[in-house]
Amino acid sequence: MWQQVKQALDQSATGFMTRLAALLPGFVALVVAILISIVLAWVIGIVVRRALIGMQFDERLGRWGFSSAAEWSPRRSPTLLISTIVTCAIVLTGLLIGIAAFNSDITSSLVRSIFAYVPNIIGAIFVLVIGTIVARFVARSVLIGAVNLNLGYARLLSVGTKWMVIVVTIAMALVHLRIAPGIVELAFGILFGGIVLALALAVGLGSRELVSKQLERDTKKASAEMFEEPFRHL
Amino acid sequence: MDKAQDLQTEQLPQEPLKSLDQIEAADLVVGILADLSQDGVAELCGALRTLQGNPKILVLQSFPVTPSTSAESSQEGPSIFLLPWALQAQNLSSAPFETVSTAYNSIVTLGEKVGARGCCLIVSHFESPASHWICQLVAPLLDGTADFVAPRYAFRKFEGLLNSSIISPLTRSLYGRRMQSPMGPDFGLSQQLFHTFLSGSAQNGDRSGGVNMLAALAPRVACGNFRISQAYLGARTYPPADWTIVSALLSQVLGPIFLVMEKTAACWQKARNSTPIRTLNEPAPVPQTTANVEIGHLVNSFQLGVRDLQEIWSLVLPPATLLELRKLSRLAPEQFRLPDELWARIIYDFALAHRLRTINRDHLLRSLTPLYLGWVASYAREMESSDSNAAEQRLERLAVAFETAKPYLVSRWRWPDRFNP
Repeated sequence: MWQQVKQALDQSATGFMTRLAALLPGFVALVVAILISIVLAWVIGIVVRRALIGMQFDERLGRWGFSSAAEWSPRRSPTLLISTIVTCAIVLTGLLIGIAAFNSDITSSLVRSIFAYVPNIIGAIFVLVIGTIVARFVARSVLIGAVNLNLGYARLLSVGTKWMVIVVTIAMALVHLRIAPGIVELAFGILFGGIVLALALAVGLGSRELVSKQLERDTKKASAEMFEEPFRHL
Repeated sequence: MDKAQDLQTEQLPQEPLKSLDQIEAADLVVGILADLSQDGVAELCGALRTLQGNPKILVLQSFPVTPSTSAESSQEGPSIFLLPWALQAQNLSSAPFETVSTAYNSIVTLGEKVGARGCCLIVSHFESPASHWICQLVAPLLDGTADFVAPRYAFRKFEGLLNSSIISPLTRSLYGRRMQSPMGPDFGLSQQLFHTFLSGSAQNGDRSGGVNMLAALAPRVACGNFRISQAYLGARTYPPADWTIVSALLSQVLGPIFLVMEKTAACWQKARNSTPIRTLNEPAPVPQTTANVEIGHLVNSFQLGVRDLQEIWSLVLPPATLLELRKLSRLAPEQFRLPDELWARIIYDFALAHRLRTINRDHLLRSLTPLYLGWVASYAREMESSDSNAAEQRLERLAVAFETAKPYLVSRWRWPDRFNP
């Protein structure tokens, strides 16, 4: 009896050791991949940071209208944010390559599915960046146009327009990431409709005053017998 | 040379080319872009016929003329040829500067082809008959006493405000020549001048070197040391004001001016102090506007701009200027006054922001509208009951303020990051 137990234990110990020995090259490969990726990430991170500092990226970003990017950047520096993102991305890639070196079905399919998802992430980031640029441009156009038309609710219109574009952008990015598409569509419909309704109400209520002022002005004009603006610009 | 010749032929208006086969040469080319009546054109031709030396004159009319009118006018005298001009003049109301610039390009090319001694373009409507002003504009070109004849219009205190507030004082401070209307648009150009323009354009590969020719004329003439004269042309009639297009107007006018400023930076940074230019005839007094001046809505626009456009202006204007604007926005309309020094610095800062592309250029220029309306309000309040002499003195003080603030512009232009008060 004791002999049989000993034999079974020997067999399991041998199997455990064999499997451990089989995993060892993969583990070494993982450690090497991580170490190489850390060194590579550190070097590339420094290069990216120096290049961005050289081109005065933080100042330029402010001029391009992305001054708020500094607010959610580490130490209020978008340069540091980008170099950190690049560094982390390289370390993550090294980790995934290292995991793939285990050569087991589970790890391979996991890595394959993660890599297959990367284009979606890149696409979503691209959509977000373009959407933010468009939102800022449109918001600024609306703000200047509305102020020049002497509309008291210019800022409200501008902010409303900006959030409409941002909501569309976020919805597009989430659909691109395939995160709960049904909920996203529903939420987008509700949110977008809500913003449009809020804007319509705000503009409608604001216009009431505007129309009454205009009518009052028209009445004054009529009583002043053909009052004509004396200014000529050209 | 061949390239330049090809370029010129391409730019020639189609209709004049057909008729030019019968005209080998002309001494003067006159383009009419203004929508003159038949009588107006006939009167203009009659006035041109009084020029000394019996010159051969080619008159191009952009608005449609019936064939019979054209033929009849052609037979009026041996030295005047009236031809239709296939130019898109109907755009004059929607895009006046582009249209006038295109017209200048065409007429200069045509003048070069027929070997004219001078050319001019009539864009404005005048209150006085053509006989009173056309000869003043073209005679110096024919007798060779001037290369560039700039117009001087009858001064009315509330007319041409964009010119009075920005274009004229800016041109004066930058290039050192005191022109009343640096963007004309009714200019006379000598053969030497348009030859220089064409040769320069051929080198640049296009007609205007990438900028609007109307905006580039006065700066290039000033930088090229050409002989400049100013002719008094009388009073112009203006279309009524449309407040919705002021921002579009600012964008259309100031964009090319700031672009030319960028291209001629080496020239204007050297210019010191302004000098007056020769005026060919004395201006006659004209009746002034006596209409009520209501500035409440202008001040409201300014206050709305200060309240809502801070975010955009803070990218363009230094903190000290923003602070002064905020203080101004709290004043009542009857106390509202925008100091000349502040206005000059604002314009210089916008010119610099245009050069640096701090924000989208169209946004930048349109965001100037509330500030411009603020200046109009301030000027109108001051000049409401003043006569034209007082208004002219007021604008002279503004021009001097622009000249005084020029070192500020030069410093910011050279070191935009370092010099930011």
